[in-house]
Amino acid sequence: MEYMNKYIKRYWKPFITAIFFLTIEAVSDLLQPTIMAKIVDVGVVNRDMEYVLHMGMIMLLVTAFGAVGAITRNIVSSNVSQKFGSELRSDLFRKIQTLSLDKINQFETASLITRLTNDVTQVQNFAHRMMRIFVKAPILCVGGLIMATILSPKMAIVLAIVVPIVALLIALNMKVGYPYYKKVQKSLDKVNGVLREYLEGIRVVKAFNRFFFETNRFENANQDYTDISMKALRLTAIFSPAITFVVNLGIIAVLWFGGISVDNGNLEVGKIIAFINYMTQILFSLMMISMVFNMFVRARASVERIGEVFKQKNDMVEKEFDCNIYKDIKGQVDFEEVYFSYKGYSSEPILKNINLSFLPGETIGIIGPTGSGKSSLVSLIPRFHDTSSGVVRVDDLDVKELNPKQLREKIAIVPQETKLFTGTILENIRWGNKNATLEEVESVAKIAQVHDFISSMTSGYNTVLGQGGVNLSGGQKQRVSIARALIKRPEILILDDSTSALDITTETKIRNDLKEYSKNLTCITIAQRITSVMGCDKVVVLEDGEVVGLGTHDKLIEECDIYKDIYHSQIGKEAM
Amino acid sequence: MSKANKQENKNTKAAMGMRSGGRRPRGMPVVKPKNFKGTMMKLWKYFSREKKLLLLLLLFVVITAGIGLSVPYLIGRAIDTISNESGIIDFNILGIIVVVILVGYLTTAIITFFQGWIMAGISQRIVKSLRTALFDKLQVLPISYFDSHAHGETMSRLANDIENVSTTISQSTIQLMSSGITIIGSFIMMLILSPLLTFASIITIPLVLLVTKVITKRTKVFFKEQQRKLGKLNGHIEETISGILVVKAFNREEEIIKEFDDVNKELRNVGINAQVWSGFIMPLMNVIKNIGFTAVAGVGGVLAVRDLITIGVIASFISYSKQFVRPLNDFASIFNTLQSAVAGAERVFEVLEEAEEPKDLPKAKDLKKCNGHVRFENVSFGYQSDIPVLRDISFDTNGKNSIALVGPTGAGKTTIVNLLARFYDVTKGRIMIDGLDIREYTRDSLRKTFGIVLQDTYLFADTIKENIRYGRLDASDEEIKEAAIMANAHSFIKHMSDGYETKLSERGSNLSEGQRQLIAIARAILSNPSILILDEATSNVDTRTELHIQEAMLKLMEDRTSFIIAHRLSTIRNADVIMVIDNGGIVESGDHESLINQRGIYYEMYNNQFENTRKVI
Repeated sequence: MEYMNKYIKRYWKPFITAIFFLTIEAVSDLLQPTIMAKIVDVGVVNRDMEYVLHMGMIMLLVTAFGAVGAITRNIVSSNVSQKFGSELRSDLFRKIQTLSLDKINQFETASLITRLTNDVTQVQNFAHRMMRIFVKAPILCVGGLIMATILSPKMAIVLAIVVPIVALLIALNMKVGYPYYKKVQKSLDKVNGVLREYLEGIRVVKAFNRFFFETNRFENANQDYTDISMKALRLTAIFSPAITFVVNLGIIAVLWFGGISVDNGNLEVGKIIAFINYMTQILFSLMMISMVFNMFVRARASVERIGEVFKQKNDMVEKEFDCNIYKDIKGQVDFEEVYFSYKGYSSEPILKNINLSFLPGETIGIIGPTGSGKSSLVSLIPRFHDTSSGVVRVDDLDVKELNPKQLREKIAIVPQETKLFTGTILENIRWGNKNATLEEVESVAKIAQVHDFISSMTSGYNTVLGQGGVNLSGGQKQRVSIARALIKRPEILILDDSTSALDITTETKIRNDLKEYSKNLTCITIAQRITSVMGCDKVVVLEDGEVVGLGTHDKLIEECDIYKDIYHSQIGKEAM
Repeated sequence: MSKANKQENKNTKAAMGMRSGGRRPRGMPVVKPKNFKGTMMKLWKYFSREKKLLLLLLLFVVITAGIGLSVPYLIGRAIDTISNESGIIDFNILGIIVVVILVGYLTTAIITFFQGWIMAGISQRIVKSLRTALFDKLQVLPISYFDSHAHGETMSRLANDIENVSTTISQSTIQLMSSGITIIGSFIMMLILSPLLTFASIITIPLVLLVTKVITKRTKVFFKEQQRKLGKLNGHIEETISGILVVKAFNREEEIIKEFDDVNKELRNVGINAQVWSGFIMPLMNVIKNIGFTAVAGVGGVLAVRDLITIGVIASFISYSKQFVRPLNDFASIFNTLQSAVAGAERVFEVLEEAEEPKDLPKAKDLKKCNGHVRFENVSFGYQSDIPVLRDISFDTNGKNSIALVGPTGAGKTTIVNLLARFYDVTKGRIMIDGLDIREYTRDSLRKTFGIVLQDTYLFADTIKENIRYGRLDASDEEIKEAAIMANAHSFIKHMSDGYETKLSERGSNLSEGQRQLIAIARAILSNPSILILDEATSNVDTRTELHIQEAMLKLMEDRTSFIIAHRLSTIRNADVIMVIDNGGIVESGDHESLINQRGIYYEMYNNQFENTRKVI
């Protein structure tokens, strides 16, 4: 909850302003029944037309005053709540962007997305309503009580009985409702979860004809959600009528005892009317208060969920270095006794005792069975993750001490899973270097063998991609993704199985063109195809997280059984 | 890194050629207020299912409104009794009145409770059926819809928009009914009490209508725009959070945040507008209400001066005029919330009205015991009508078992699979299976015939066992294990902490890409299809493992037709027919030997693959 302090600090002034105008609104609301009572009691009863008109004018003035207060309050509170909401959302988004990948994995992206959307909206709405009724309700309630008591202390005894009962009912309502409300949120998450999975797996669903199965899955979640919401609504349905009834009993009591008082000559009739008016107002404000509590309960859950994200500390420490050390990075990479396992997964280490050294200008191939730790190995270089033990060095600097951003400036990576973003192809490629000229973009697109394809489209480089680049094929996306990395002109280039969707001819062309491009940089290629790594200066063979072979193709084909196996499985004996 | 990789967006679905719809115009013009009445009518369709209960509710509302209407009258009478000119209060009459009011209040309380009870049911059922309708709709939408609409947006419609409708229904329905009755009832009571005072109090009504109209005209636009911006923001969030690895790799945090802030700001501004404008209603109504009151008091005073009216009548009249105006107020604010709900409902109905996958023909046959005889006759196709992806493709499997498709990226290989499975329909020509156009089979039975392993493996957040079982729901645990053994997945599953019961995290991210492919293959094996389609199914599996799978695959492929798309030529060398696809057409076809002898494109590709080999050796 501490993170809220920042917003409280920033917005307390306009918040107070809103409350000030709200008070004007409330006071005007409070005065109205009194003036009304006066008009009837004094004006009408005494048949004093002048008085009626006079008080009528005063009442209109008070109302107008109140209306101005209300409108100003609304303008202020709308601005405050919307600004607060959008700032909170923006801060949360920023925070998520700074989280390490470990942390993001722990939260799961879907949950982060809900926090950014639903939860922030909940909190924002609460803030707005708080400025609208939170203060007004107590003011009206207390004010009504005071005014009624002044009007007739004796009849206020009725209030002394009614109000505690109502307070009790509200408390009970909360106690019964809260646990249910949490359950409702949970089952709503479930519904959203099923839908999200469905959308992402739509092709699989269609391919396997699992409509019925999916409908059942969704219906179950939907039914649960419906049932629990219905139950919650029904359980709490008793409270609102009960509260109204209790207050109405009070009104009856006022009528009866009021009658007695009037009979005794202790009370004027107009006061009974006014008293009843105040009772209604108190009832109204009590209902509002119970509503506010309900909203508070909802918002609290969201505040907590957002707070969980803000609470995350950046666990990537870094040392202060002179910026120049980053400038001088040439691209040498060393692994020294590196062990690694993902945080939160207590399985065997993914990488065990890795000792490697890559030099600038070298091309390195990494090959090995599925799940042997190839991608994990390279993810340590740009500090996507930190080692469990051992050191990864770039130009003799321990990456654990480096600023990840500065470090990543020196590294370009083509990830295994291609991810493009909404925007034009040009914009997507310029991710690598936003100042790149069109010529530069074209030249790297040519290396990535995607220039001809892009040029063949009517809008060329300005072709707009849908979300995730849906309008390109897998191979086209991979090549754009390669171009995006190349334009960065990095010191270290990592291609993580990034040609898997390309045919051999295209891949060979890319590889040939890359040779010239990567003359002075460290180029690390992860591949499944042996042909992709055969020409490398150095090939690393990984199995079960360990290096089982290291050297040139010629050396490995003699010494490394696994490498030999892979080679034969792909090329066959006859090519030897 | 493979781990983080998996966190990346799965929206990048299977490789396809140019897809339709992907280029929606950006920065659409300001939303014009759409069809309010039409949307309400559509909503009514869902309400009408609850007709009986709604009628009962209406009855309840009539009763409570009736009581609500008579209470001010009774209170007026009570006050008249108290303010009796003679100064002697008849406590008998007062007692009777008080008891009557008490009974009225009690009845109201009980009925209100039941109203809430029933309404909870109605609203939740309506919303549930809306949600179900939307989900069912998603089931029949063509793949192209999902390819062209951001998931975040669709999510937003199902979650935010329906929630919005739900809240409004449960809160506003009763209120709307009782407001209507109360307005009419109080008006009648007012007329009975004093026509003149009535006239004085209704002079404000045109003002109410005017204010409501002016304001809602604006808020309607703002609310819709707000929902739209919210959808846009959600789309951006979805995209960037799921692609966070790339964002980090390219140090794009700043730009992403800036884009986010831009949309966020747009949302904020339209949100402020919507709220400020809708906030005008209440205070203005309050002013109008009090103008009415003053008018009534003034005129009432004049009438009382002339002894034309009792004070009790004025008291109850004031109560009525309050009762008369308050629902008018409510109407205005309900109308306002209604606007935002209708904006939400509209977005829901937009999905419900999307064009569906074409229905099965009326005489569609079930494809049973498929022989796997596939024939393409002059098939042409384009995802967008003006850009053909396949041109005049014809081939016949003719009892051949395995057909391999090779060719450069974007040549149209995956498109052929898309057409076979009827993810898309051909633009020209036809595809026959066992001698009949596939459009003449029921889609259901057609797809049951295929076992498809896609390039992009999708696994659900469930146990490994259930993920494999997805292939055939009635499979026993034993059969699942067999399938896993065949797919070579058994050995790594065995090593996992909970074996087959290991729960996969969101998007199966605790497995490597290759492991996921193995599970997907096991899933396809389990479904025991007549026609097997492997679209780059083993691209992320290492070749040694692939060799093992291939043994299993060969067994699996024995009695069925299979289509294999692969880039690794080693994967497809043993296929009966190899078709080389380029530029949307078949350029070469034959078995490995004959194609090599032909010295054409395939030969070149084959040589390319081994070019490096020669250099090294």
